[in-house]
Amino acid sequence: MRRLLGLTAGALIVGAAIAACRPTGDVGYVEIKTVPVAPVTQTALYIDAAKLAPIKKGGAILRQPTGTLKLQADGVAGSLAPLCDIVVKRNRITTVTISVLERPPRCQCRYGGSDVAHACVS
Amino acid sequence: MMTLLSAIVQGRRARFPAAALFALVFVLSVTTARAGDASGSGAGSAGVASPVEQFSEQLEAFQKSVPDLNKTIQDSAGTIDSATDVAKARAEIDKLRETVSTLLGAVSDNGPVSQLGVKALDHIRNKLKTLAQDNRFKPEERQFLIDQWRKLEAQTEGATKELDDARAQFAGLLQTLQDNEDFIGELLEIRQAEKALEVIRHLTHDIRDASTQLNKLIGGIKPPGA
Repeated sequence: MRRLLGLTAGALIVGAAIAACRPTGDVGYVEIKTVPVAPVTQTALYIDAAKLAPIKKGGAILRQPTGTLKLQADGVAGSLAPLCDIVVKRNRITTVTISVLERPPRCQCRYGGSDVAHACVS
Repeated sequence: MMTLLSAIVQGRRARFPAAALFALVFVLSVTTARAGDASGSGAGSAGVASPVEQFSEQLEAFQKSVPDLNKTIQDSAGTIDSATDVAKARAEIDKLRETVSTLLGAVSDNGPVSQLGVKALDHIRNKLKTLAQDNRFKPEERQFLIDQWRKLEAQTEGATKELDDARAQFAGLLQTLQDNEDFIGELLEIRQAEKALEVIRHLTHDIRDASTQLNKLIGGIKPPGA
């Protein structure tokens, strides 16, 4: 009986912890493509302040909260160089291609990006 | 698409009861591992295989959701084809996009299934490294264990490769739905424009009527002696 209670309590605690860690609110997707395609992209990329895992085989699809995110890369003297803004909408996918050979890397948006704000939209 | 996924999932399915909640699976796996340790049977193996088990559980849950998606797509496609109501078609696409989005969330690069796949592969590769330097076993025993782990590595790699394919497929589908939604949005705008045109036509008609009435009125006015 005590074991069952412990198990139930454990399940509730872990379930609550997982629910708490889940992003709340609406989510959308960011598709990042890198050119040229490499097995693993060496350039470190950031969405806002969060460093992304190295992009494999020239592409990654990331689940992100909705809103406008800042895509950045490593800049000079340890600072981050802003590349472009990405507008994430609910249940939509925003595609951005990054030319990693250039310094700093350059953003090309599938839609948008030609304006002054340089924001990629879905 | 999911044949290799099925193989790996079915191969690992028997150890723990299927559970909808990942939390429950996690707790059960820990509890079962502890029970195994306490009884002295299978100690170590249950705990060691945990990342692979978790990956399998997540894959299984993911696989179960895919047939529903296919049905939803077929149903929605039929509805959209026959729908003359643009707003209804848009609502169908919204619903479908929600479904595809949920699935894409699971297999996205930072999603739970993909992350567990990475962890499972790391675990297997670490195990292979450890085994290569482990002197507790006879050479033939060690080789047998290495072969078993390599087989599991190949299967897990195959499963993660299929996840990559699924990710690309869902992303493409979401993109197509977006494009269609944009097209339907344009249709909606055309309909609105048609309504506006209709209002203008009515207005023009009314103005003409009023003008005719006014002309009649003016024509009917006769000054005295005319």
